[in-house]
Amino acid sequence: MSDWKGYVYNIAFFLNGLLVFLLFFESRFAVPQWMQALGRMHPLVLHFPLVVLILYSLWVMIVRKPDSHAWNEGLADSLLVIGTFTAAVAAFSGFVLSHEEGYESDTLLWHKWLGIAISLAAVVWYGARKSLLPWTVGAKVVAGAFLVLLFVGGHLGGNLTHGEDFLISPLGPSAEPVQHVAFEEAKVYEHLVKPVIEQKCLSCHNEEKSKGGLQMQTEALLKKGGKGGMLWDTTKADLGLLISRLHLPLDDKKHMPPRGKVQLTDEEVVLLAAWVKSGSRFDQLVSSLSPQSPVYSYAQNVLGGDRTEEQYAFSAASADEVKKLNTNYRLIKPLSAGSPALFVNFYNRANFKSQDIEGLLPLKDQIVSMDLSKMPVKDEDLKTLAKFPELRRLILNFTDITGSNLTELKKLANLRELSLSGTGITMAHVKSLEGFPALRRVYLWSTGIGPQDLETLKKGQKIAFETGFRSDTLVVALNPPVIINEKQLIGKGETVAMKHQIAGTVIRYTLDGSEPDSVSSPVYEKPIAINGNLKLKARAFRKGWYGSTQVSKLFFKEGFHVDSAQLITPVDQRYHAKGAASISDGKVGDTERVSGTWLGYVENDFQSYLFFKKPVKASVVTVSTLRSFGSFIFEPTRIEVWGGADPKTLKLLKVITPGVPAKDIPGTENIVYEAGFEPQQLSCIKLVAKPLAKIPAWHSGKGNKGWLFVDEVIVN
Amino acid sequence: MEKPIFDYGVNTTRRHFLSKLSLGLGSAALGSLLIPDLFKGGGGEPDVNELMAGLPHFAPKAKRVIYLFQNGAPSQLDLFDYKPMLNKMHGQDLPESIRGGQRLTGMTANQAKFPLAGSIFNFKQHGKSGAWMSELLPHMAGIADDLCIIKTLNTEAINHDPALTFFQTGAQVGNRPSFGAWLSYGLGSENQNLPGFCVLLSRGKGNGQGVYSKLWTNGFLDSVHQGVQFSSGENPVLYLNDPDGMDRTQRRKMLDNLAELNQGTFNDFGDPEITAKVQQYEMAFRMQTAVPEITDMSKEPESIVKMYGPECLVPGTYAANCLLARKLSEQGVRFVQLYHQGWDSHGGLPTEIKGQCMDVDQASAALVTDLKQRGLLDETLVIWGGEFGRTNYCQGTLTKDNYGRDHHPRAFTVWMAGGGIKPGIVYGETDEFGYNIVKDPVHVHDFHATILNQLGLDHEKLVYKHQGRRYRLTDVAGKLVKGIIA
Repeated sequence: MSDWKGYVYNIAFFLNGLLVFLLFFESRFAVPQWMQALGRMHPLVLHFPLVVLILYSLWVMIVRKPDSHAWNEGLADSLLVIGTFTAAVAAFSGFVLSHEEGYESDTLLWHKWLGIAISLAAVVWYGARKSLLPWTVGAKVVAGAFLVLLFVGGHLGGNLTHGEDFLISPLGPSAEPVQHVAFEEAKVYEHLVKPVIEQKCLSCHNEEKSKGGLQMQTEALLKKGGKGGMLWDTTKADLGLLISRLHLPLDDKKHMPPRGKVQLTDEEVVLLAAWVKSGSRFDQLVSSLSPQSPVYSYAQNVLGGDRTEEQYAFSAASADEVKKLNTNYRLIKPLSAGSPALFVNFYNRANFKSQDIEGLLPLKDQIVSMDLSKMPVKDEDLKTLAKFPELRRLILNFTDITGSNLTELKKLANLRELSLSGTGITMAHVKSLEGFPALRRVYLWSTGIGPQDLETLKKGQKIAFETGFRSDTLVVALNPPVIINEKQLIGKGETVAMKHQIAGTVIRYTLDGSEPDSVSSPVYEKPIAINGNLKLKARAFRKGWYGSTQVSKLFFKEGFHVDSAQLITPVDQRYHAKGAASISDGKVGDTERVSGTWLGYVENDFQSYLFFKKPVKASVVTVSTLRSFGSFIFEPTRIEVWGGADPKTLKLLKVITPGVPAKDIPGTENIVYEAGFEPQQLSCIKLVAKPLAKIPAWHSGKGNKGWLFVDEVIVN
Repeated sequence: MEKPIFDYGVNTTRRHFLSKLSLGLGSAALGSLLIPDLFKGGGGEPDVNELMAGLPHFAPKAKRVIYLFQNGAPSQLDLFDYKPMLNKMHGQDLPESIRGGQRLTGMTANQAKFPLAGSIFNFKQHGKSGAWMSELLPHMAGIADDLCIIKTLNTEAINHDPALTFFQTGAQVGNRPSFGAWLSYGLGSENQNLPGFCVLLSRGKGNGQGVYSKLWTNGFLDSVHQGVQFSSGENPVLYLNDPDGMDRTQRRKMLDNLAELNQGTFNDFGDPEITAKVQQYEMAFRMQTAVPEITDMSKEPESIVKMYGPECLVPGTYAANCLLARKLSEQGVRFVQLYHQGWDSHGGLPTEIKGQCMDVDQASAALVTDLKQRGLLDETLVIWGGEFGRTNYCQGTLTKDNYGRDHHPRAFTVWMAGGGIKPGIVYGETDEFGYNIVKDPVHVHDFHATILNQLGLDHEKLVYKHQGRRYRLTDVAGKLVKGIIA
């Protein structure tokens, strides 16, 4: 081994080591700037190992025995070491280059690993050349394998730089460059159907070669059809010639494209069929289709519908300028980081001035969207808005514009979306929108346009009108009025008030227990004075609405102050509320929260004393109870009121026997009993109420004892 | 003679070995120099600041979100996921092969039988996609062409609190930032006069489950990203009004003086929290005029009242919150979170769900239509759904017209509208028992990733470094649901 070969081999060895190391940590390897140049030497270097190693491999295959005249050890070694070295350099530079972007991943992967394999194999081969002498069978096999590796690797490399079909493409038909079009602008025929026809059909159906008398280059020629007649017929189940030919089995003579030609993909067939089925229109926009349509999905795949960002031709404004013009009430922001396009939103009506729009003029070449909803924008301001040539979307909902200056906006050549909901514009103004060059979508809810006119608008072709929800023919029920008083115990001079949230709604009410109606019941005008225990029932009415359901509430006239109360029989411990204090605490009639305010009895009768320090002249005792059959809570079967000066001298004043309920009444209700008697001076009242002893047969708890709930006793 | 020469060629001497070894080591050494972070722990990941620079990451389809959270978990089987098989097999036991060892809650785990319960409600197909919806949702059915109904949401939690927390924060345990807080952090507020994240609560008559302020927490993010709850009372935002006897000019003067003092302290200590606080005071001052403008419903036209239903003027109702949500969103609030309680129908489901649907159906549909007619639906994403679904088998006694359903995490329905989501589609399929997903599952993490995507955010890049690791809303999971993106 002469010295130079040793050095060269060592360098090759070193490079391979480095390469293997970097392969291990490839995911974390970032190519330093200076090394990129090395990577780009790859196309230059790679030809050396190719040539040298092919030469050596061929030679190994030829050599027969050591003493043949073809055997020249020194030259052979030199060739192999040069091949090894250049292969290492090529592999390493290739590895570096592969880290630049823009290579097709599959091909790259194979090329990369083949290249590395060649380099490593060459190092091993050189190291083992003494034990693998050229005339042995093993050496010939290795050489053969090497040739295969070199050819395949080299070919893949060629594919990478020149493209898959570089070698054979001159033999096939030439392809048109792909046109890029924004999703919003894409047309079904021009950008989806036509490319398929051009690629798959046109080679046989063109000017020079119109097989079957059919040419397919233009709209007119497609409509004309061929010898077989029209291309499509939507009245037929198979949609006519074009589609049925596509669907024929491949073996069928009439199948198109003929056997041996490039076939349409399934998606392409679906696309053509859907296009023909929908009337084979030549002007339809993809964006006007429903997203469920197969054409729409196809377009999304082909045109890259998701996350396509509009490319703007203008350059970004200075960040300082944008920052300067931003205020608390005027937000200016780029659409996304790095986008030159800006959107502007205005807030707070009270702070808005027309100059706020003018102030944006320094950014007129960048602003693409402006939302002026609810700002007091005047008709004259549209002139200013017309000075923003890049505007694509303009929202003028509930501004003060009347529409008279709307044509000013015609100057906006890019305006696609215009929202005029809640403004005063009329049908005449809408007509003028037809001439707007780029307008595609207009919002016209809650404007001065009549219902018939709105109907005609829906048929518009170029512009999609969104007319929104209409209430003029819709009649719905009002919600019930609100009784404001929470407290049901009404003191002297206190009144009961009601309200309804929809201004101008009429509330009618009754106090006698009858149902309020829209004609004869009194109209609520001012708070109602309450005299005695009564039930307020009220409903709301309004023109153009159905009357509300009824709201009702019991009110009690506040009684004498009870100085102390005492329960004679114990209350059930599950519903004990605050014991005796609960019956005179002023909290009455709460049917929502049962525990805590109501005293429950099932085993015992309810029996209690009420004491007054000074005798009171009483004539009525009111007992508030609960009825909720579903919860086993029933009215009492007997109420007794006793009165006198003290517990020992009580007289029975009144007995009420409500009776056993005969049928189910759903829901929970506050049931009140008034026990009236001769007015008399009393210091002590005893009250007895008996719970239902046996639940009647119609109830699921038949035979058991019923519950009695009492929350208040009022003495007047 | 030949053999020693051969051996010499084959065997490596120590010198050769060492020289090759040094070459090998040298190459590795040079290689290590080329990979700067090789020996640093965890290296390779880019810096948080680098990731967070430049938001949104790409042009967003949606700018704002309104999330109509149906708290308590509505029964997908009585609303969207039509399963005639359950009616056919009404009362029969759920086959064990279908249940597949699903973990059950303590409420039905001890049940001896799992009788299948078909919905008593009638289903019909609606819209171009032929989406099935029950008779309980006539208004939503009317906007079927605007909805993207996802039948295959699935979660890991089986109880309300963890499931809710999972939906709201991306983790079942508490203390992570809420979805709205992440958005506020990532995108900021559009309107400088209102918080970027608002919360509205309402309550139906059905069996309710709690809603806690931890659901709108900022977690470890800055406190400015916390959700602000609007209440239904006289003061929608607490502590916003000036106290009696103080007018706006006095307040202004007070704030100016306070800011001066704060500035002084900031100059001394340099704590950025101080300037943050000054900004918050200023924003509250501006909110004093911005909030009344928003909560004033008197200027809404009558057609709006009819559309949302007259309840929308009764503060604290779901309808009122939907209307308020529209107004807040229209004013640039990034994330409006509604909660409507009362969907937890373990028993008496037919009655309870009727009431709940009465509460939400009309107003939810109205919100979508309202945004649409203002040209705002394209940039506003509306989401409707609960924290999980309900079981196909009955909890408690099954009768002909009464049943209850327990919690079901494996498949449930959520719909979205607007915000660059495909309208008028039904995504995903469940098996004929409505129990398992057979096609296109959407995990909660995927759901989050997709929503972030619509807002122009890469869920893998929206990160915050806390306690030594980078946190994301989607934690270490989540993939885009491409099938629902328009």
